[in-house]
Parts: sequence; structure tokens; C-alpha cells
Amino acid sequence: MADRRATNRAMFWRIIRRLFGANRGRLFVMLLALGAGAAVTAALLNLQVDAKRRLTSEFRRFGPNVLVLPQNSSQFRTETLPESIVHSVPVNLQSGRVVVTSHLYLVARLSPAGPGESFSAVVAGANPLAYLVGAVSSSSRFPGTPPVIPPATGHECVVGTNVARQLKAEQGTDFSVSNVDRREVCHVASFRQTGGPEDDRVEIGLRAAQRLADLPGRISAVELIVPGTPSEVQTYIKDLQRALPDADVRPIRQFTEAQAKIYDRINGLLTATVGIVLLLTGLCVMAAMTNVAMERRMDVGLMKAIGGSMRRVLRLFLAEAALLGLAGGMIGAAAGILLSIGLGKAVFGVAARPRLIVYPVAVALTVIVAILSAFPLRRLASIRPASVFRGEA
Amino acid sequence: MFLRIVADSLGRRPRHKLLTGAALALGMGVATASLSVSLDVGDRLAKEFRSLGANLIVTPQADSLPLEIGGVDYRPVNAGAYLPEADLPKLKTIFWHNNIVAFAPTLEMYASVATTPDAANSPNNVQVIGTWADYPIYLSDGSTFATGINKTSPWFHIDGRWFAADAGTLKRVNVFDLPPGAVGGHTYVPIPDECVVGVRLAKRLSLHTGDHLYITYPNREDMHNYLGKPSIGCAVTGILTAGAAEDDAVLMPLVSVDRLARRGPGEYRKLYVSALTKPEDDFARRDPGTMKPDEFERWSCSPYVSSIAYSIKQVLPGADVRVIRRVAEGEGAILTRVRTLLWLVTGAALLAAALAVGASSAASVIERRTEIGLMKALGAGSGTVGFLLAAEQLLLAFVGGGAGYALGIILARLLGEKIFGAAPEPSLIVFFVIIALAAVVTILGSALPLHRASRIEPAPILRGE
Repeated sequence: MADRRATNRAMFWRIIRRLFGANRGRLFVMLLALGAGAAVTAALLNLQVDAKRRLTSEFRRFGPNVLVLPQNSSQFRTETLPESIVHSVPVNLQSGRVVVTSHLYLVARLSPAGPGESFSAVVAGANPLAYLVGAVSSSSRFPGTPPVIPPATGHECVVGTNVARQLKAEQGTDFSVSNVDRREVCHVASFRQTGGPEDDRVEIGLRAAQRLADLPGRISAVELIVPGTPSEVQTYIKDLQRALPDADVRPIRQFTEAQAKIYDRINGLLTATVGIVLLLTGLCVMAAMTNVAMERRMDVGLMKAIGGSMRRVLRLFLAEAALLGLAGGMIGAAAGILLSIGLGKAVFGVAARPRLIVYPVAVALTVIVAILSAFPLRRLASIRPASVFRGEA
Repeated sequence: MFLRIVADSLGRRPRHKLLTGAALALGMGVATASLSVSLDVGDRLAKEFRSLGANLIVTPQADSLPLEIGGVDYRPVNAGAYLPEADLPKLKTIFWHNNIVAFAPTLEMYASVATTPDAANSPNNVQVIGTWADYPIYLSDGSTFATGINKTSPWFHIDGRWFAADAGTLKRVNVFDLPPGAVGGHTYVPIPDECVVGVRLAKRLSLHTGDHLYITYPNREDMHNYLGKPSIGCAVTGILTAGAAEDDAVLMPLVSVDRLARRGPGEYRKLYVSALTKPEDDFARRDPGTMKPDEFERWSCSPYVSSIAYSIKQVLPGADVRVIRRVAEGEGAILTRVRTLLWLVTGAALLAAALAVGASSAASVIERRTEIGLMKALGAGSGTVGFLLAAEQLLLAFVGGGAGYALGIILARLLGEKIFGAAPEPSLIVFFVIIALAAVVTILGSALPLHRASRIEPAPILRGE
């Protein structure tokens, strides 16, 4: 009994081998269709997982999205926070690093080095100073200023364009900032044009600002750039508020809400497009494969003529399709993942990290498509072997 | 005879042809859907990005330096320069008027606010912002454009409603019982002031929608001398949650604040403009002053944020137009990324569709060796046979491609409506691209098998070998 089964199995595989070898052209065509489907499936799945992660980090470009302020701060920010509060802010998240900047604001008088009247302006002490952390993108510089990073002396300041115009300041020159009887020298390190309130401000080192305001160790606000999906940012805000009961943690709704909305749209768009592309590609491959399978009436007729039951014949063809799907899927999915690495580089400048889970998923989907496309052979159950051999139908 | 053979061949194996056609239609459907979405996505997403609010800010050129911390300006009320509101409708006459989604002028001042008319015990130094909300602008083509801070700051959430556009102005009413000596048949009555209160201020004063708020100067005498009463009252129409400085402020129509600040009617200090833009590239960042005339023309005919700023400056004399970099650059970067991403998805979809369709047509040629052998035996040359089969494939490509286009358009429509609430316009270019693509793919797919078929020796085939 076991002997017969072994013989049967040997015969089964022999037939399969012959089926593959019978027509090289057809084999190539089937592998091509399945491989293309698998490649696109793998590439898109891999890219999609990666793109969502990358998009959230793109939102950094909008700058701070969370503020930490003194509790019950009035509209005029005269209350301050201890500087040490920054150490309680968690910075390493799963979705990336939180960028933390602490600020101390005061209104001080600026006096140009050359001739000219002194005037009042907002001075923001910042730690770290913006040009040092590279938060100022190249185009937000004052037009025509090359990005020079001078050696840090502790007196550098970043001057907003409107202030610069009034100061008639040049890069590399000094001017003085004074508040009551306290005075600091400010060395113009770079200019800044953002279209926001920064244009009307001078940013100096936090220490210098604290000396000017006579508030050592105090800050007015902490600005955070929190990466992640909108829900991750919300959770972060809640956790931070719990960790800092003496401060007021607020989302900057302009950015958090818009980011949530835009993220949802892009996410939906990507998922829907990828879904439709995968579905149609699957159907397309299936149609192509079925087309090929339907050509096999001669084979089916022959097998039936020599006594094969329809179930066994069908099993043969399904096994063939599954094997083809496996081979095409494995080659195609590997190609697709390689492709997505390149594509990720093209879109985000960083190669997409290959996700191992994508590979078996893409191969499995291809095998399923291949098997489904062999199913229409069942329709051949009704054909009469004799009519096939007579060349009818 | 040629046509007859083609027609006969199409009719002979309908199921087979149907499947090849289905593969073609599905493949081209993918291509159409993803192409339509990619072509359309830039505009749609640019609109979505307007939920970030204004990307341009207009200030008077002669303005003194603002002393702004946390959205609050510390300057004395009358320091600085102002711009006239009357110029604003011109924004809808510039070349890029269709790209200007919204704009809102603002004027800020500080006042005391109270819940009783005598304004006793009122907190001083509350920011009062005069602006527009759903303010109608009558355009030259007869249509109305409603704009205001609710459009430039879409993240503002209001509990209740915004103040009416005409609150605080005068209303013309007809007078039927003319007093003796009156000229004309009408008179003007003031419309009561309305205001919107920030959520934190409302909590501090326990104000609710429908209550009245009384605004006065820190020095009550001034108010008395100016208006003859201790305060100006306004009906609270809504409570505003902004998540920023506005939570502690009172928002009123611009005319009301002009009057309070003792400015002439229709003066403002800052104008926020929200415009649909194209992401900036290196060309856009160049200084327009150094461009050659043809370059300048190209620059000003692209909706870059900087060229829109330039054309706004042309119609608002004395104004300084600045790009809010934080919004504009983030937007540009993300838009470019998403666009590239979708083009890649489209490319991948096209590739997969092409390969699958090509495979399908290759298969259909391979399976017809017998037929080819017979034709050649009857005296047809390789060229004729190839031409015949190619014609058949092309016919299929046109039918399949057309069906695929229809399918793709429906899908793109569903997708667009689900995600953006608006369907992409079917484009004729996409149609031609798809039909051409279908033709190229089928011909390429059958080229290799056809080439091999042309070398078929008829005799062994006919013998059944």
C-alpha cells in the first residue's frame, strides 16, 4: 500500500516536471506575469510602511508643535519656569528624537555700534541657539548671506531681518544689548527671515539673556518638536503634562491639527492607491494566467483519456500553479524589495528599510493569485476526451 | 480578406479573447486610476495644506519694530503704521486671484474688559483683535467672496457663531414717517456690536455665549470724554478655542476696533493671506531683480509663494509682504515628497500592468503556432502573418484600453471622493496615454513570440510534431 503511494507520488512529481519542461515560452510568460505582480506587491507594501514613518518625520519641518509654559501664565509672559524642567522632558521616542529648545524672552534696548539711535526690541535667549542646531533652513537666511558658522564665543546672536534693517547691522559686526543697567555684547552670526515673529527679534544665548534679565536659571517657555503620528503626539503631551505638574503643556493647535488632518489624508491616499493597485494587479495577473491555463485542454483531455479522475488532474494543475506562484513570488518579491529600497531613496533621500514581514506576505499573495487563476480549469471537467482528440472545440 | 481573417479570429475563441481583453482592461484600469490620482493630487493636497493657515503676511513698510512675545505685541497702541482696508478687494484682481484662498486683516489693541456696563473691577490689558469673519467682498464679476480669520486660521474652533460681518456698522433703514425737513427717505441706525471671546478669558470672567461684555480704556475718563459713556458693550456670539494667544483675547469686527482704537475706519496693521502655491525650487528662490526678462516672466507665471507675494505687493502700496517660511517651506517639502511618492506608485502600477498584459499577449501568440503554420503553408509570408496578428492584438488593445480607461476613471473618482471629497476631472491626455500604452504593451509583448513564429516551418507543425 505504502509502496503504491510512493509510486504515485513519484509519478505526480514526474508529471509536474514534464509540465514545466513542456513549453519553455509559456513557463517564461507565467513566471513573468507572477513575478511582476509579486515585485509590485512587495515594493508597494514595503514603501507604504516606510513612507508613513518618514512622513511623520517630515512634519518636523513645521517646527515646534508643543509648548511648555508656566502654569496660569497671563498673556504677558512675565512668569518663568526653572531651567531644570528641560531635564524632565523625555527626548528619545520610538518615532524619533524630540528637539527641545528653551527660551527666555525680554524686551531690551539695542544700540548699534555705529551711529544711530538705540531702540527697543524683543530679545530671545535660546538654548541651543538656532543656527547652531541647524533649525534654520538654507532659504530662511537673509537673502544673499552665505551660511557661515563662526567659532562659538558665547556672544553670537541671530538677528531677525527687520531688526537688522533698523540696526543697519552687517554680518560679523558687534552691537550692544542693554536692559536697565545690565549690558551684553552681541556678535552678529547670521540673519534670519522666517515671516514670523523671529524677524522682529534678536536671538542670543540663553545665559546672556538670563544675565540681561537678571533671572539666572529661569526660562519663559520650552518649545518642542515632537515627531510621530498625531495620536503619538497627543499621548506624549498627556504624559508630559503628568510629568510636569507645575507647568502648562500645550499643543500648538495650528500645527498639531493641520498635521493630523494632512497625515490622515496622505495616509488614506497612499493606502487606497496601494490597495487599488494591488487588487487590480492581482486581477490582471489572474486574467493573464487563466488565459494561459485555458490553453491546456489538450493536456486535460489526455489525462482524462488515460483514466485520471478530474480531482487528480486538477490537483496536478493546482500544484503546478502553486509552484509557479512560489517561484515567481520569491524572485519577484526579492526584486520588489530591492526596488523599494531604491525608490525610498528617490523620495525621501533615505533608503527604505526592508521589512522582512513584507517578503512572506508578498510571496503568499502571489501563490494565492496563482492558485486562484488555475481554478477555472475545473470548467474543463465537462470536456469529453474524445472530442479533444478529434480536434473539435 | 485581411479584415475577414481578423474578424473571424476574434469571433472564434471568444472566451480566450475575453480573458486577454480583461487582463488588458484591468491593467490599464490600474494605470488610469493611479495616473489620474497622481495628476490631481498636487492641487488637492495644496488645498489640504491650507489648514495650516496663512502662508503670507503683509505689514506696513513704515511700521516700527513689533515687540511681540507669544503672539502679544507690547508696542503702545498708536506706535507704528497702518494700511487701508479699502485696498483689500484688489487682492482678488491680481493675476493669481484664484490662488488666494483667504485673507484677513487684523488690528490689535489693549483694553479693559468687564461684565458690567460701569466696567468696575475689570482686568486691564486684554488684547482686543479687530478682524473679519466671513466678511463678504463684492467682486467685479458680480460674485461675492467671503473671507476672514475663520478661513486664514482654520484651526480656530468656535462654540457659538462668529460675529456678523456688519455688526458695529450702520444700517440704512427707510423712514416712512418723514420728519419735516428731512432729506431723502432713509436714515442710518447703528447695528449693535458683537464679539467673540477667547476660551481662557471667558473662563476667567465666567462669560457665556449670549452674555454681554463691556470694553473700556484703562483710564475710564478717556472713554467718557470720547464716547460719553463708561464703556462699549458687545454681545458675545461665541467662545473661541485657538490654542494660542487668542485664547486670552477678545475678537471683534475690524470697524469696531478701529473706532475703539480711535483709528480711521478701515485701518489695519497686519494682513494674513492664505494662498495655494507651488513648492519652491531653486529657480523660485532667486531674486527677481536679477532675472532676465524671459526668466522673470516664467517666474511670475508660476504660482510660487514668492511670486504671489510679489504680485500682492504690486496692488498694496506701502505694504511689506513676507512669506511665513515655517508654513510655506514645510508645505513645499511635504508636497514634493508625496507627489514623488505617488508618481512612483503610478510607475510601479504601470510596470506591473505592462508586464502582465505583455505576458498575456505573448501567451496568446505562442498558443497559435498551428494556425501560423497553416497560414504559411497556404502561402502567407512572415510579414503578412505578423501584420495580421499585430492588427488583431492592436484591436484588442484599443478595446481593452478603452474599457480599462473607463474602469480607472470610476476608481479614481471613488478614491478622490472618499479621500478629498472631490473627484479628479477625467483628462483627455490620460485617455491618449492609456490607449498608446495599451498598444505599445501588447505589441511589445507579442513581438518576441511573433518573431519566433515567423521562423516556424509549416511542415512539422502541420504534421503535429
